[in-house]
Amino acid sequence: MNEALTTRRQFLQMVGVTGGGLVVSVALPACAAPGLNFDHGAGTYFHNALIQIAPDSRIHFYNPRSEMGQGVYNGMTTLIAEELSTDPDKIEVHFAPVHEAYQSPESGMQSTGGSTSMRVFYTPMRQAAANAREALLQAAAEQLGVAKDSLTLDNGKVIAESGSYPFGDFTALAGQRPIPENAPLKPAAQFKYIGKETSRIDAPAKVDGSAMFGLDADFPGLKKAVLQRCPVAGGKVKSFDGDAVKAMPGVLAVVDIETGVAVVGEHYWQTRQAAEKLNIEWDLPELADLSTDKYFTQLRQQLTEDKGGKAHREGEGAKGLENASEVVKAEYSAPFLAHATMEPMNCTIKIDGDKADVWTSTQIPQVVQGLVARHAGLDAENVNVHSSFLGGGFGRRLYSDYVVEATKIAVASGFPIQLIWSREEDTRNDVYRPGSVARFEASVNDDGLIDTFFVKRAGANAFPAIIDSALPTLMPLGLAEWVGNRVEGVVAGFELDTTSTEGLYEDYDAPNKEARHVTVDSGLSVGFWRSVGHSFSGFFKESFIDELAHHAGVDPYEFRMNNSKKDKRFAEVIKLAATKGNWGNPRHAGATQGIAAHTSFYSRVAEVAEVSVENGNIKVHRITCAVDCGLAVNPDIVKAQMESSIIYGLTATLYGKIDIEAGQVRQSNFHDYPMLRMQEAPEIEVHIVPSQEAPTGVGEPGLPPVAAAVANAVYKATGKRLRELPLSLA
Amino acid sequence: MINFTLNGKAVSTEAPGDTPLLWVVRDYFKLKGSKFGCGMGLCGACTMHLDGQAIRTCITPVAAIEGKSVTTIEGVSPKGAYNSIQQAWIDHSVPQCGYCQSGQIMSATALLARNPNPTDAEIDQAMQGNICRCGTYPRIKAAIKKAVSDNGSNGSSGSEVAYYTPSNQLEGGNNA
Ligand code: FES
Ligand code: FES
Repeated sequence: MNEALTTRRQFLQMVGVTGGGLVVSVALPACAAPGLNFDHGAGTYFHNALIQIAPDSRIHFYNPRSEMGQGVYNGMTTLIAEELSTDPDKIEVHFAPVHEAYQSPESGMQSTGGSTSMRVFYTPMRQAAANAREALLQAAAEQLGVAKDSLTLDNGKVIAESGSYPFGDFTALAGQRPIPENAPLKPAAQFKYIGKETSRIDAPAKVDGSAMFGLDADFPGLKKAVLQRCPVAGGKVKSFDGDAVKAMPGVLAVVDIETGVAVVGEHYWQTRQAAEKLNIEWDLPELADLSTDKYFTQLRQQLTEDKGGKAHREGEGAKGLENASEVVKAEYSAPFLAHATMEPMNCTIKIDGDKADVWTSTQIPQVVQGLVARHAGLDAENVNVHSSFLGGGFGRRLYSDYVVEATKIAVASGFPIQLIWSREEDTRNDVYRPGSVARFEASVNDDGLIDTFFVKRAGANAFPAIIDSALPTLMPLGLAEWVGNRVEGVVAGFELDTTSTEGLYEDYDAPNKEARHVTVDSGLSVGFWRSVGHSFSGFFKESFIDELAHHAGVDPYEFRMNNSKKDKRFAEVIKLAATKGNWGNPRHAGATQGIAAHTSFYSRVAEVAEVSVENGNIKVHRITCAVDCGLAVNPDIVKAQMESSIIYGLTATLYGKIDIEAGQVRQSNFHDYPMLRMQEAPEIEVHIVPSQEAPTGVGEPGLPPVAAAVANAVYKATGKRLRELPLSLA
Repeated sequence: MINFTLNGKAVSTEAPGDTPLLWVVRDYFKLKGSKFGCGMGLCGACTMHLDGQAIRTCITPVAAIEGKSVTTIEGVSPKGAYNSIQQAWIDHSVPQCGYCQSGQIMSATALLARNPNPTDAEIDQAMQGNICRCGTYPRIKAAIKKAVSDNGSNGSSGSEVAYYTPSNQLEGGNNA
């Protein structure tokens, strides 16, 4: 295997995806973005594509990030609100259209993922709003004929000695003056909203049914579409019974889009029923040979036989084991997983001449625009992507397969259509969390300190799928043609994906460390699933650390503390979770405790689980969580995201498993791919480390420790070390 | 033709009788607050009230509701006002993605209407049919208890939920 591996970062730079590279720049595109001065009346102060203040004093904010539950709608607005000294719920938040002006200064993409929003936008968003404040103050000073320093802002008003004036009094003049730059940011001591537990501004719309999701798009003339796909992903249509279906009530068209046959009809139910009568015969793809049982056997075999590519090495690396008096070894595995967002995939599209409108719940509107343009033969700037709230994302909506399907159906049928996936289709056509196996070998010295830490993981890489999906829309046109003809192959030679080994080796001190990777592609579509590589590496590494602790005869909490001297913030969350979680003294009578900690997306999280085992069933009573995510922009949302990640992670801990036989996904709906329900949800207590450090990830980092915390508690209770997810004592 | 009452109004529909009530309400009456999650009665996203009882409308053929009264999330409170359950949801910042929340609120409302002071076990029992993939269960539970205590303190029972005027209502911006 090639030792000189391409990292995803290098790869992205190579193809020019990152633009300015993965460096946080402090400026958002400040360009006066043509076409983005939305109509809020004459005399509107058009500050930039993000912030516009209307003469009626309303502040309009065009939020560039997708709200999928993680609270970014509230978080981004809070940043603006702070610098404009105006309550967040007084700011009108709009979903931004696709435009360069809304791209992340880090990735150069208009997409939401990787727990990046507060980390990346914390300063640039405040700067944009601070500049807007400065513009208002300058205009007010000029218009009122007073010194700028004598003015302040308060909740939509400029406060002067002579009285208070609504923002709208000054927007016209502000619009005629140069837009200020680099206005001073508010000092943290003056924060009124940042760092406070204000209630979510998107909650009201989400309790009365008025919040709009992709599935809620509707307009006169819209038809419904249902697509029947091959039960084995990638299969092609051989033949089908179109005529009988066309004659069914409510059916308007039956179209073959190669990867499936779509029925277009007036109403969803009729269309769904008609689609079931298509009797399609399929040309089965190679994937028809895939079974997950065989695949996992192969992973284990290749772990033994292949040296793998180097992902990390320090000190002597694995060689350090040669001098060890004893080597502790263990192998862990984690299955493929579906995302199971509550809102199944769907896409609404209307093509009108050389223009198209698209409504869909997406984490990556920029790619949606490009793909629709490509498959409808339009110019991207003529494709208008209407964003909405997302009924869950978790990484699934970074992929746009359903958008491509909808576009093809609209083109082939000539109707404006809404493609709706059933739950079964959603479960069976996901971009799955890759199934993985990892082996650890480590030695611990007489002082209970890790000496050598070696890990090797086998499985598919999660990263390439996003490139396959995004590349055709991002590359220069000629290249895009080329890539478009062979998208699946373009990243085949892609070697080291950092998401495959992330989290396996970084957290604890050891003079000798090595991580290696054996790429084994199953052919199944795999990608980002909440916390990506950390979703399995957190379980693997934290279970193994527990094994090392028991092996060394040291308390698992003490062992972690002793072996994390280098990262003080990491040790701090372990200590906080243990203290608040009453380590050594479970609150729930008869329960045992397990502890785990993990760093991901620059945040450190530790969790203590209280668990009991009754008749072979694992019952999780309580999770105490400590998180250091830098400054918590809204501590209540940080707590909510920890709760959310813990519960999402517990579903994977106790139930989640996608099996494939003869290329077909066996699970289909919530009866055979169950979700944690209310009566199984533990009590969750979240403690945030007070911090003035820059904000780091929040939407995902709560997930990686939870499975290990539970498994480690089960070990304590039963003496059984469960090394496979989902956990089972059967 | 099937006749029924929808949020207090007499309506009729030409939809084929086997069409699930969910799709009749969403596609024919254009009320989009009730959601589709599973189509098998497994997730509760589609929950509405049929004569006051919480039902899964993705598996309820519209023919079965002839002459009956249906309430959706749009019908549980007057526009621009929230009942005590919705208000508790707002106060506890329950919703995350929000997609399951119409169904959660319909189940919780039906529970409090028949049992104004439920135990934890009764809350679990009534809510176990509603999945929340965002994991808002702890907050839902806390919000139900808050609504119970609010209802208790102003003397009304669960079925006569108290109305609040919103202090922080979103205007316009939420549906852009
Ligand atoms: S959509 Fe009806 S219960 Fe899931
Ligand atoms: S809030 Fe997202 S599914 Fe419940």
